[in-house]
Amino acid sequence: MKTLAELAEYVDEAARTATEIPQISDTHPLSVEDAYAVQALSMQRRYARGEKRIGIKMGLTSRAKMIQVGVSDVTWGRLTDAMREEEGGVVSMSRFVHPRVEPEIAFLMKKPLSGKVSALEAMSAVEAVAPALEIIDSRYKAFKFDVGDVIADNSSSSGFVVGTWHSPEIDISNLGMVLSINGRPQEIGSSAAILGNPVRSLVSAARMVASAGEELKPGDIVLAGGATAAIPMEAGQSVLLEVENLGQIGFNIGD
Amino acid sequence: MTSEANIQKAADQLWKAWEDGAPSAPIRGLLDEGDVDAAYAVQEINTKRWLGGEERVLSGRKIGLTSVAVQKQLGVDQPDYGMLFADMEYMDGEEIPMSAVQQPKVEAEIAYVVAAPLTGGHITMVDLMASIGYVVPALEIVGSRVKDWDIRITDTIADNASSGIYVLGQTPKRAGDFDPRLCGMVMTRNNEPVSVGAGAACMGSPLNASLWLARTMAKAGRPLGPGDVILSGALGPFVSAEPGDVFEARINGLGSVRAAFAKE
Repeated sequence: MKTLAELAEYVDEAARTATEIPQISDTHPLSVEDAYAVQALSMQRRYARGEKRIGIKMGLTSRAKMIQVGVSDVTWGRLTDAMREEEGGVVSMSRFVHPRVEPEIAFLMKKPLSGKVSALEAMSAVEAVAPALEIIDSRYKAFKFDVGDVIADNSSSSGFVVGTWHSPEIDISNLGMVLSINGRPQEIGSSAAILGNPVRSLVSAARMVASAGEELKPGDIVLAGGATAAIPMEAGQSVLLEVENLGQIGFNIGD
Repeated sequence: MTSEANIQKAADQLWKAWEDGAPSAPIRGLLDEGDVDAAYAVQEINTKRWLGGEERVLSGRKIGLTSVAVQKQLGVDQPDYGMLFADMEYMDGEEIPMSAVQQPKVEAEIAYVVAAPLTGGHITMVDLMASIGYVVPALEIVGSRVKDWDIRITDTIADNASSGIYVLGQTPKRAGDFDPRLCGMVMTRNNEPVSVGAGAACMGSPLNASLWLARTMAKAGRPLGPGDVILSGALGPFVSAEPGDVFEARINGLGSVRAAFAKE
């Protein structure tokens, strides 16, 4: 049997070296609780290398994805400064295994938030909202995992781009989102796909960080979850996301 | 070429299914494979029959197959159209008997109401935008007179583009009051989100679909005119309706609309 610390090293090394690994669940099926412990331990290794935690991401925020992975709750992972990519810049494929990109809404926190909160309390802790693209990259072979696997693997988070910040007074419950590759729309949806309203994802985020003894801090970024299916990334693609009332963001993909 | 006799036969078969309220076998075997013109000829026979008997009056047109995914599924690269009749309209939230539509599926759409005639040789986007009176959110409940929705392109065109009934929202907006491409759409069933999308899912923009319709109807001799409703096409996937279901569509900037099905 491997210890949780050994499993943390296993997923961290896979992420650090962009190397595909067999699922942990093949040999060490993890409970949700242990999986979060592995995630926390693997993040400690990143912080020790100098990365800074700058926020969190929410995962499995659509009913379809929950059913696909066989869970009834959302998941979360940590974002670090090393994952942030420049808006309008070039994102290199080299640091990923088999990355996919998905359209999201991002929150910027103004006040601390943690525990069981109402939607009103959650939004009053928000400084701004923005369009965002998340690059998810499961380190597991063929992007296949169970819920313990994906949580241990920091909920597949590996990169993100955030656009211009807007006033949180904008109603973000049902914003049309068009994700285009090389100018052609590939995925079309609405922010309503994120738990019916992305604000619900922020409420869940506050609850989940509290269960890990943490909080959302001022300046933290919270990625609310994918609004459409994720698109596999390939070198040479130009990625563009348009969000109703929030503008557009994008990046190009390099080797 | 598909024979006149077979076109009439197909029309009779669909007419009977509609009258009996019992779906029929597909009619595609009577037409040449992919013979879209023959399928519209079948549709036109039944349109004339309904209008001639004076039991129905036209209230507009619907556009179907406006998503690339559905076009691929049916092996076509074009949308299709069907007639809307005044008796197809239900009010927002009004109880809809399950017998009103055979094999009902619900989809959220943008409805344009025409205020000026759209005629002439080449209708432009400028002509279309100038002729729009107002815009409302809509729920279209499509149905099929073909058993188990076993349709190919000719089946659905012949069957009035699988038209059923529709409900219009009651908050008319001007065409410039919202973003037709980027407006978000969420449809709930019994308060649970079951379909999401945006304007761009309908041929890039519901105005693109509407322009295709305006041109096609002018050519087909049934041009759009004042008071006509354009159901411009689904903004997200359709969802089957069961007895007792209540659907609500919300389109950002346009408002909301509900369709409530009777419990039995």
